[in-house]
Amino acid sequence: MKLLLRDKVAKLSFVALLAASSAAMLYTPTAAAHGEKSQAAFMRMRTIHWFDLNWSKEEVKVNDTMTVTGKFYVFAGWPETVDKPDIAFLNVGIPGPVFIRAGSWIGGQLVPRSVSLELGEIYEFKVLLKARRPGDWHVHSMMNVKGGGPIIGPGKWTTITGSMKDFVNPVTTLTGQTIDLETYNLENTYFWHALWYAIGLAWLAYWVRKPMFIPRSIAIESGKANTLITSTDRQVGIAFTVGTIALVAFGMTSTNEKYPITTPLQAGLLRGMKPFEMPAKTVTVKVEDATYRVPGRAMQMTLKITNNGDTSVRLGEFQTASVRFLDSAVLEDTTGYPDDLLAEDGLTVSDNSPLAPGQTRTVQVTASDAAWEVYRLADLIYDPDSRFAGLLFFFDESGKRQMVTVDAPLIPVFI
Amino acid sequence: MSASQSAVRSRAEAVKVSRTFDWMILFTLFFVVLGGYHIHYMLTGGDWDFWTDWKDRRLWVTVAPIVSITFPAAVQACLWYRYRLPFGAVVCILGLLLGEWVNRYLNFWGWTYFPVNFVFPSQLIPGAIVLDAVLLLGGSMTLTAVVGGLAYGLLFYPGNWPVMAPLHVPVEYNGMMMTLADLQGYHYVRTGTPEYIRMVEKGTLRTFGKDVAPVSAFFSGFVSIIIYFLWHFFGRWFASTEFVSGEAV
Repeated sequence: MKLLLRDKVAKLSFVALLAASSAAMLYTPTAAAHGEKSQAAFMRMRTIHWFDLNWSKEEVKVNDTMTVTGKFYVFAGWPETVDKPDIAFLNVGIPGPVFIRAGSWIGGQLVPRSVSLELGEIYEFKVLLKARRPGDWHVHSMMNVKGGGPIIGPGKWTTITGSMKDFVNPVTTLTGQTIDLETYNLENTYFWHALWYAIGLAWLAYWVRKPMFIPRSIAIESGKANTLITSTDRQVGIAFTVGTIALVAFGMTSTNEKYPITTPLQAGLLRGMKPFEMPAKTVTVKVEDATYRVPGRAMQMTLKITNNGDTSVRLGEFQTASVRFLDSAVLEDTTGYPDDLLAEDGLTVSDNSPLAPGQTRTVQVTASDAAWEVYRLADLIYDPDSRFAGLLFFFDESGKRQMVTVDAPLIPVFI
Repeated sequence: MSASQSAVRSRAEAVKVSRTFDWMILFTLFFVVLGGYHIHYMLTGGDWDFWTDWKDRRLWVTVAPIVSITFPAAVQACLWYRYRLPFGAVVCILGLLLGEWVNRYLNFWGWTYFPVNFVFPSQLIPGAIVLDAVLLLGGSMTLTAVVGGLAYGLLFYPGNWPVMAPLHVPVEYNGMMMTLADLQGYHYVRTGTPEYIRMVEKGTLRTFGKDVAPVSAFFSGFVSIIIYFLWHFFGRWFASTEFVSGEAV
């Protein structure tokens, strides 16, 4: 009985294994996005706030360029659990080199290397991308922070048309040579690797042409180990040693003659990035309380807003983790921001009439949209430090904008 | 056929069987070493071997020989003590390089489209040949560790220079100077490999000015000697046969 059972289990396991492998082979959907929804909500809410993002094109041909521009705010209330961005790198979230990064700038400074960012500062950035591989790609802004990991910004679908065979990457060196970096040095690499591999095979061939394991093992066990290496073997060994050293020396010398000017790899940290100066704030906001209503997928804040300026203002936008909640009566998006990250009527303010200069008002602000669930921001309630953070954008009568940050505890409401 | 009878009936048949065994063992050894050594080297040498913008004159020169002399030392010990065959290092490196080229071509280029001129593996064969030849000529593991291990470290940088030098030609890019290898690293986007994790040009060898590669190579050679000793013992232990009495089981 036991044997029968064991056989059946074995057979069924084999069938299951076969089915699993077939399923894995037959169903391989494209992994086109970057798992941004899986990143902890507090990471997206309380580290880097990306805003004013613009993707210059939605469709681009191979060899043509597009830019991703915008600003990012290095959140002053940076969480303790994430290393501060003393060493960070402005990246771009794309599935491999489907574009090449032709340039990237922070505050007008080229940033091919890592940079040091200051908490509480806003920086303007630009990434220039040159299309390389056709397809539909999700293009994200991204900041890698040492000790913190990649902090991904909003992504937008972009289509590259044409053929990758046409892609060229011309570069002129300081020695005056113009090369195509896509294929440069390839033949030389193949040549040297093939040559050394052939020499290695020749060494192996010399030994494997003679009987190997069984006779030699018997000879050693019978005390005849010394007879196994002949004088010819030694001469071949000397020839290979001398030949190898000579070829290495020749390769080194001839290469130095061919490339007399070479420099070491460049590395280092760029400090002193120029921050972006936003218009002076005249509005102050105090978060009285904040709750997240789990069944309704809505966050409600009680805000005490004071207008210290000389013109009335209205709240037009709340942005957190790249999701934008707008009050369409105040602000409409005209930048082509990704639909899935935009709640055009997602912001409700209990009294959003113009707040006059010198006036203070306490309002109920509700940010509601499926994005809370879709982008897994609701998971914030499971974080060890249950706080939320975001950017509030106020607009005066002439449309001038000012940004205020909020950072407060969040209480979940389950019923 | 009883247990005391031979499986072969003539000397010619014995030779044929022996050669068949030779090829089977060599084939198995090659691919087992390829798999194990490849994983080991990817885990320990990893990015230094993946990308040209990691192949610097300090850490790559130091790290690559130290972490790659491991399997050659172990396989040499096994093949030398049991068969007096001095091709352990070369067979390891041939296996490793075959695995690496397949990986770089099919995965790095075929799947993710990184150009091959950015992701080719390091050259390790010159050091392996000398390591095997020293064992053959000296017949001593100690001599092989000291002379061969040092040579293995010393030959690494010049052995790779013909392929790397063209990528160290400087270029001016948007007002900054970098090498073509740096530019490859910048152009071909790696979302999971930000610039700051690149471990290049770090260290305290500043008093040697621009000539740090030979110093790094010597240091690498010295450490390779120690690693050779260690891994040669692994090889000897792995290749040993111990008979256990039935009572002990």
